Amino acid sequence: MTINIKNVLQNLGLTETNLGVSTGVTWFDTEGKINTSSSPVDGNVIARVKTATLEDYEKVVTKAQEAFKVWRMTPAPIRGEVVRQIGNALREHKDDLGALVSYEMGKIFQEGLGEVQEMIDICDFAVGQSRLINGVALQSERPLHRLSEQYHPLGIVGIVTSYNFPVAVWAWNSALAAIAGDVVIWKPSSKTPLTAIATQKIIQNVLKENNVPEGVFNLVVGRSSVMGDNFLGDKRIPLISVTGSTAVGRRAGKIVGDRLGRALLELGGNNAVIITPEADIQMAVMSTVFGTVGTAGQRCTSTRRVIIHEAVFDQVKNAFVGAYEKLADKIGSPLDEKFLVGPLIDQHAVALFEEAVAKVQQEGGKILFGGQKLEGHGFESGNYVMPCIAEAENHFEIVQEETFAPIVYLIKYSGDVQNAIDIQNDVPQGLSSAIFTLNMREAETFISQTGSDCGIANVNLGTSGAEIGGAFGGEKDTGGGRESGSDAWKVYMRRQTNTINYGAELPLAQGIKFDI
Amino acid sequence: MITRNTTIEDLVEDYPKSVKYLADKGIRCIKCGEPIWGTLEEACLEKGFTQDAIDNAVNDLNTLHDKGSDHTNPDKLLNIKTIKKSK
Repeated sequence: MTINIKNVLQNLGLTETNLGVSTGVTWFDTEGKINTSSSPVDGNVIARVKTATLEDYEKVVTKAQEAFKVWRMTPAPIRGEVVRQIGNALREHKDDLGALVSYEMGKIFQEGLGEVQEMIDICDFAVGQSRLINGVALQSERPLHRLSEQYHPLGIVGIVTSYNFPVAVWAWNSALAAIAGDVVIWKPSSKTPLTAIATQKIIQNVLKENNVPEGVFNLVVGRSSVMGDNFLGDKRIPLISVTGSTAVGRRAGKIVGDRLGRALLELGGNNAVIITPEADIQMAVMSTVFGTVGTAGQRCTSTRRVIIHEAVFDQVKNAFVGAYEKLADKIGSPLDEKFLVGPLIDQHAVALFEEAVAKVQQEGGKILFGGQKLEGHGFESGNYVMPCIAEAENHFEIVQEETFAPIVYLIKYSGDVQNAIDIQNDVPQGLSSAIFTLNMREAETFISQTGSDCGIANVNLGTSGAEIGGAFGGEKDTGGGRESGSDAWKVYMRRQTNTINYGAELPLAQGIKFDI
Repeated sequence: MITRNTTIEDLVEDYPKSVKYLADKGIRCIKCGEPIWGTLEEACLEKGFTQDAIDNAVNDLNTLHDKGSDHTNPDKLLNIKTIKKSK
């Protein structure tokens, strides 16, 4: 299959220079800096984007405030119907948007399609949820009183997304926020503004056909000087959702916390797979390799560490190296379906990859495979690397850090599975984890209260590739937020407890007497 | 012109050579593939720079930029080793 990027851009309504601020159907001709989006695939300029000024930001927030007053009064199932149609619009544009995700971000086309599918999936989920925004009936301690809880729309939700999932994370947040009755302001990554603009263009017909007020779905492409601390600190925005590094999340958490706002933080991971002597080794290796090199190691859930029992260490190590040798010929343009590993996002990422390769060796680790920058035909952008396998120890400084690139550390453990779990948990981050074992005791220990301390703990599948049905997020330096499925919708709403006295008496709680 | 108040994001986007310079001084501008938020001054203070050291960094970065070195081959700049692969 050959993908013609010019056709893709045309089909998505993108031009040489694009507007980067929209409140739905309306786009604003802004006077902020003009950003250039270049493809990591071939280094070519894709298109330019006019970014927002602070005045533009103010206009958008004002519009969002107005829209919220209308949208919160729209019945949730009607809001869900709009989201259903957004899902269908995404279905219609899946190939084009998937291709643009691939070209602008660098993930392989199959993963680009998968990303759009995630958007569709969360829309479907949100449609169902729109009829299930349920409260709770509780038992009052007082006679002729009814105690209950209900959920109300929260207000404006600020969404900060990262380049590695340039559109799916917006969908996770905005589909749920929309059915909850909230309005959203999206700050996409400066590295991937075109996928964001394309998404906004895809949904705008749905907004128009359904008379959705301007200001419900807002997009603001802007640098952090315009969409930075002021955005985080804006009291008009009760919830800020940030997907990014622990450094950015810590800053966001502090600023949002200072104003007692709500922050949903999805930050870095240092995800490990444990392979015990009782694992199906072949399955473990095949599954884990996708986790290590998928999206060129640029997923929050990419597998960074593989903790292997000493009894099977050499067997697993050799199988890993063998699998990577096969992959060596499958690195190239992500738009060409014969390749399985695309480029890193830019040359800074390549430099950090090479730094990690050097550092693990300085600390006493051993490179078992790869670790070089690739050059030659097809690699002209300078962003392609040979994925790296290194033998290392968990306490190494570089192993404790998250390197956003395809480098995986093989770590040996001995004795009981609890030793492996202790090693796994001994990092600052706590996003995703997995164990490969056919032993029920090991598996259950891993997911027990003494097991993995991560937000995601899988058995016999890897750390990446979560479905939208479960809540997604992690603990410790990962930030503690949960988004996507399960009951994550609740974070987009404010909970209200109601006590109704339908009797003629005024009994106080706890039996307190207060007779005047 | 680079000042203390220039954001790290602007440095990364507009003065990419700053990334290597600051990395050598212990400031990592890029995390998880994205620029960290905040200004040059904030990043320097977080790493324990004195006021003089911050001024020096600002001067160095402007000199670096004035030389037009941001437009040189970034591979050379980053001292990246490469392997050739023919396809």
